[in-house]
Amino acid sequence: MSSLTLKNLSKSFGEPPVVRDVSLTIEEGEFVSLLGPSGCGKTTILRMVAGLAAPDRGLILIGDEDVTRFPPNRRNLGLVFQSYALFPHLTVFENVAFGLRRRKIGGAELDRRVAETLARVRLDSFGERYPRQLSGGQQQRVAIARALAPQPRVLLFDEPLSNLDAQLRDAMQIELKRLQRELRVTTLFVTHDQAEALSMSDRVGVMARGVVQQLAAPEDIYHRPTTAFVASFIGKPNRLSGVVSLRDGSGGRVRIGAELELAAIQIEGPVGATVDVIVRQEAIAVRLGRAAQGEIDGRVVLRSFSGARVQVVVRAAGGVELIAEAPSSGAIASLAVGDAVALAVPSTAVFAMAPEAGGP
Amino acid sequence: MIRARHGLLLIAPLALVLAGFFLAPVLMLLPTSFREYVPAAGFRPGYWTLENYLRIITDDFYREVIWRTLSLGLLVTLACLVLGYPVAYVIARGPPRWRMMLTLLVIFPMLLNLVVRSFGWIVLLANRGLVNNLLLQLGVLSAPVKLLFNLTGVMIGLTHIYLPFMVLMLVAAIRNVPRDVEAAAATLGSSRLHVFVAVTLPLSAPGILAGSILVFVLTISALVTPRMLGGPTYQVMATVIYDEYMQLLDWARGSALAFALTLMTVGIIALSSALTRRWAGMS
Repeated sequence: MSSLTLKNLSKSFGEPPVVRDVSLTIEEGEFVSLLGPSGCGKTTILRMVAGLAAPDRGLILIGDEDVTRFPPNRRNLGLVFQSYALFPHLTVFENVAFGLRRRKIGGAELDRRVAETLARVRLDSFGERYPRQLSGGQQQRVAIARALAPQPRVLLFDEPLSNLDAQLRDAMQIELKRLQRELRVTTLFVTHDQAEALSMSDRVGVMARGVVQQLAAPEDIYHRPTTAFVASFIGKPNRLSGVVSLRDGSGGRVRIGAELELAAIQIEGPVGATVDVIVRQEAIAVRLGRAAQGEIDGRVVLRSFSGARVQVVVRAAGGVELIAEAPSSGAIASLAVGDAVALAVPSTAVFAMAPEAGGP
Repeated sequence: MIRARHGLLLIAPLALVLAGFFLAPVLMLLPTSFREYVPAAGFRPGYWTLENYLRIITDDFYREVIWRTLSLGLLVTLACLVLGYPVAYVIARGPPRWRMMLTLLVIFPMLLNLVVRSFGWIVLLANRGLVNNLLLQLGVLSAPVKLLFNLTGVMIGLTHIYLPFMVLMLVAAIRNVPRDVEAAAATLGSSRLHVFVAVTLPLSAPGILAGSILVFVLTISALVTPRMLGGPTYQVMATVIYDEYMQLLDWARGSALAFALTLMTVGIIALSSALTRRWAGMS
């Protein structure tokens, strides 16, 4: 096991570049996710680390070794694909044994290590089956076992869970995280699913347009986003058009429509600039009754129940509509369409950025 | 999924054409193959015999022709495979702008008439042909090499004609091999050569088999090319059948030979499909 370091990595397939000057270090045994919309360059970074694409500029180091020009077979990495990419003509045993055989391991040692790895992913009795005889979740576990078996220096995941259905995905997240903690293997995980990235990672790198916007612990990414893009990408945002009315440090106040003004913790743009205002749905507090000081009056126009959570659409002064989300067991659940409500919007949940800059 | 009833309706037109114009005439020849032909008199009335079939197995001439036909099929198939796979690989995996050009190049010979192409080979391969003359003048040879009216000539001609079929089948098969699976092998420690041997080749096996069956079946039933490049003396099954029917007017013996050839073809296709199922069932 080793650390993984990227230094000023760049790649373009024409204009604009797909990856721009990305530098980051994943410590030994650390789990780092790259999170971003499709086309942000996260998969290209992963492919460059694996040796499947060549960077235009920059260095890739595993431990202290510069592997930038190494072919994939000399990097000693484990890669788990979104498509699983199992060998369809080989049994589960032979799939897992593939990397070991390439390292000249055979005989009893091979049997022992394949059995051990299959046991780790709870597929002990599946060795003689072919991939096509397995469910999607089982195939995914074979793919993980195959990558783990040769004890790679770094483990790479390319959206490994996005082909699984929701319940299985949750179970696999926990299983994967436990596996990674047990083995302490350095891991780079690429995904567009924020819940996946936040729940599993030691650190998350949020990417947009080929640049890592912020690389930090999940709690920091969520509560203390350093750019408005990160704020807009994480959580469930209301996206409204507004104008900056006051600047105060990194934040200030923004006006939305004619009558609504909100305090924002972070604003990118001078006073008078037209901005996209991001208001986190889950941070808005809703209660029945008239607004007190600092609250906003509104009326419920739509209520949407989705099991554990409930969303209400509230029309505030000036016709501005805000979506608030809360656990369905709380007081918000009893609201009905037409109720007069008061909204409290904490400034820590409000961010403003140049219009459409958050798009991919 | 199409329902069975609709499926039957969809294949009905072709099935009817085949049944009426192919299957029925072939089956009408079946009784003929058990008759005895008396020259200038026709079939001996009321006489049925297995003689025509027994002769195929016992007669040295027929045995040699069958053996020759099968080895020719095998050799041409192998030659097409060895020559075709690299081309197919480049078409499937090479720069996209080469794809169209190369595909056209592969198909191009099929636009020329079969007889014209075979005459072309005669001009090239004859004792005083282009190839021999060149080699003689360069001093590589002291006497012309026999390239025509033997296995070499027929093999060259048939390989040339059936190569496009093989290449087109292989291109489809190679393009179906998922790149991710090859990349997975590479990250697990496979060199490029090992990726090819351990992943690409086995995963393109269905195409290799399909192309081989096609070329083999076409080769053992080919008539024009073996006749032109093999001459009157180098006989294969198709030319013998032709002679029995058209020269000797012995329809009985011709039919028996034709059925023997059909049986062999069907047997080989059945064998290959069993193999394909075992290999390709995994992908």
